[in-house]
Amino acid sequence: MDFSLNEEHEALRDNARAFLSKEAELSKLLVPGATVAQAGYDGMWNKMVELGWPGIVVPEAYGGLGMTYLDLAMVMGEIGRSLAAAPLFGTLAGAWAVEKAGSEDQKKLLLGEVAAGRLRLALAVTCANGTADGAHSDVKAVQRDGRWVVSGRNAFVVDADAADKIVVLARTKDKGQFFLVDRGDRNVTVDVLEWRDITRQVCAVSYNNVSAEPLSQSDDDTWPWIRDRLYLVLAAESAGGIQKVLADTVEYAKERVAFGKPIGAFQAIKHQLAELAGLDQCATAGVHFAAWALGEGDKRASLAAAMAQSYASAAYRDVTYRNIQVFGAIGFTWEMKNHLYYKRARSNAELLGAPRHQRDQVVRLLEKTPELLSA
Amino acid sequence: MDFNLPGEDDPRRLAVRKWFEANPSPSYAQLAKQGYVVPHWPEPWGLGAEPELQLIIDQEIERAGIVHPMTFNVIAINQCGQSLLTHGTKDQRQKFLPPALACEERWCMLFSEPSGGSDLGNLRTTARRDGDHYIINGQKIWNSMANKSQIGVLIARTDPEAPKHRGLSVFLIDMKTLGVLVRPIVDMTGEEPEYNEVFLTDVKVSADRLLGKEGDGWRIVMEQLQTERMHMTKPGAVWGGGPTARELMSGLIQTGKINDPLIRDEAGKLFVEGELLRLLSLRNLSNRINGKPAGAEGNIGKMLASPHGQNLSDLAKRSQGAAGMVRDRSVLPLPPKEYGLFDNWDYAYWFAPAATLGVGTQEILKNAVAERVLGLPRELDPTASLPFNQAKLVKPKGAN
Ligand SMILES: Cc1cc2nc3c(=O)[nH]c(=O)nc-3n(C[C@H](O)[C@H](O)[C@H](O)COP(=O)(O)OP(=O)(O)OC[C@H]3O[C@@H](n4cnc5c(N)ncnc54)[C@H](O)[C@@H]3O)c2cc1C
Repeated sequence: MDFSLNEEHEALRDNARAFLSKEAELSKLLVPGATVAQAGYDGMWNKMVELGWPGIVVPEAYGGLGMTYLDLAMVMGEIGRSLAAAPLFGTLAGAWAVEKAGSEDQKKLLLGEVAAGRLRLALAVTCANGTADGAHSDVKAVQRDGRWVVSGRNAFVVDADAADKIVVLARTKDKGQFFLVDRGDRNVTVDVLEWRDITRQVCAVSYNNVSAEPLSQSDDDTWPWIRDRLYLVLAAESAGGIQKVLADTVEYAKERVAFGKPIGAFQAIKHQLAELAGLDQCATAGVHFAAWALGEGDKRASLAAAMAQSYASAAYRDVTYRNIQVFGAIGFTWEMKNHLYYKRARSNAELLGAPRHQRDQVVRLLEKTPELLSA
Repeated sequence: MDFNLPGEDDPRRLAVRKWFEANPSPSYAQLAKQGYVVPHWPEPWGLGAEPELQLIIDQEIERAGIVHPMTFNVIAINQCGQSLLTHGTKDQRQKFLPPALACEERWCMLFSEPSGGSDLGNLRTTARRDGDHYIINGQKIWNSMANKSQIGVLIARTDPEAPKHRGLSVFLIDMKTLGVLVRPIVDMTGEEPEYNEVFLTDVKVSADRLLGKEGDGWRIVMEQLQTERMHMTKPGAVWGGGPTARELMSGLIQTGKINDPLIRDEAGKLFVEGELLRLLSLRNLSNRINGKPAGAEGNIGKMLASPHGQNLSDLAKRSQGAAGMVRDRSVLPLPPKEYGLFDNWDYAYWFAPAATLGVGTQEILKNAVAERVLGLPRELDPTASLPFNQAKLVKPKGAN
């Protein structure tokens, strides 16, 4: 038993923080009118590639770093903290789909390319109405002359425009299955949405008879397996963001003076900040547990992932809202970064379903497996 | 990291279990002799156990269906006994610890006074040195278990000319000493009275009952409060004890109440929060195993755990509708287990308002977190630097 981070995790986190505080640049986004096009996706990606981050959890056998989910959580926490913008979320998601549902040949080829930084991916699972449950899809796959083609539409696909290939969940005659399509195919249309969180590229994608390569091992477990990992990614980002926003708020409360004292001397402010400190502690604890449980294949893994995501994304919203209040009017300007975090927080609480949705998952798991209540 | 608790086949656990098999219903004295009451203390009281062994022993006590001695005599064993170890003389330890650990003598905390609980430093009870004795006069209030205790840990003012926090000292008094009058106060649950008022009239206490040095009182009680808060970071319904969100969930599932969508969502939320609080309290334990210094986590933990516990019993109650207003212990079932005092949701619910009062109100805890964890400016007490006998004459600004 050891519920604390060890020195290697702390070192990884500190190195990532040092790197990102030098390289991640929000200033272009703080110019009114900025969009995700100014977020610096490509430049940041190239730097991440130098560090091997695209292959951070790709098994070594396929050319990745083969690090643990806890290591990943350390890095994602720092990305969340800095809001570094790059197509990492999409690439991780796509790579997990390949890892879980691809054939051995596909894994060798594709994961190797991902790890080398030569292949960027996106994962398209969301229906037009926002559902992303692995069971429903607005994309249909049919076989023509022995080859698969897909048609239909996905909403809210993260990093689709930046991707080289898109992994898409489509319905065949009898089941849901994952396929790979080329982003560059002329029958693929990607619209970058005016997503309010401009640190993240979110797109609508449509397919009009696009030739598609099936991931042959897809089954009903594929999506839940990927989703649990994506919960971890978002929760780790959120927890990292919470920590940063809390620190910024505390610092501001010590400096800003009103009525002859720092505003942090007023209890209305102090007490809010104390509450945020509690949220920060819990969010981080949840992320560490989820990362560990996923890495170990522990029986609590799905539960832990849903817990981490529901808690961290809800807490992130509270913290970023409070942050703007404590800053006063300046916190409401485009030129300050407060709103970037506020928008990221909202986005993290919607992309994979709302916190309420994950709480329902938690309860369903407990109903199904009462032993989890005493584990 | 490794989130597994020491396993069923852990050799340390097997050794403890073997002892319980050989001693199926041990007395508290036997547990104390075995070192199982305070395993983390040094010998001869404990086993000098690392926190993991401590956890195992606590779990095995629970498994054996025994009310933990800590539950029975928490003030002696948790908060105050610890300060006897650090600040007590050898004679004091020999005299007071064995009966305390064996639960033959219960202790109570005589801190709060009518002059204020949060602003404890404002206390009026005096201890005047008289040869090899002290003479104590004053009144204490809200003292849990004072009516059932043999020993009282009392803080009193030994130097009225020193500033309010400096002239204080701690004494271990016999509750049956002449001049000590204990009157139970019926709390709003109307159950077993939780607390008392204690009148002290010319109580003569031998000087060897002074804990630490004269003037050390504030530091000692602050340490005790920190230890006590740490103990309360567990996610139980009241002050860390009683049923948790796990048992709430289990009851709601068992009764089908969980199918109400609003209850379902709230229960999910509380379950998640409870699990995270559990992780935090175990992380504190691990930090100690790993030699990381204990910080102010007890304050954050209690700040989170007290309202969490209140929300648990609140949902348990609400899930029962009007039936929850009837004094009935079994409306929402609890899985069989040793829960200590709060072994039903009804009592836990009616007791709940006290959880954010005792051992530091929610406001005091938020101040502590803001100031000690986040480093925000400290609240100023305009009377803190005055000699106490002048400070108590200062008329507060804004008061009628
Ligand atoms: C069930 C129970 C058991 C107890 N057991 C014991 C015991 O065994 N021994 C013992 O000595 N005491 C005990 N107490 C007393 C307890 O420590 C006090 O109730 C507590 O410290 C609060 O003091 P008070 O009741 O005098 O309230 P006050 O200090 O008068 O507080 C009243 C209100 O003012 C608020 N307040 C006070 N100061 C501030 C501030 N600086 N900023 C913001 N708000 C503030 C408080 O938060 C509270 O809401 C017990 C209390 C309860 C309810």
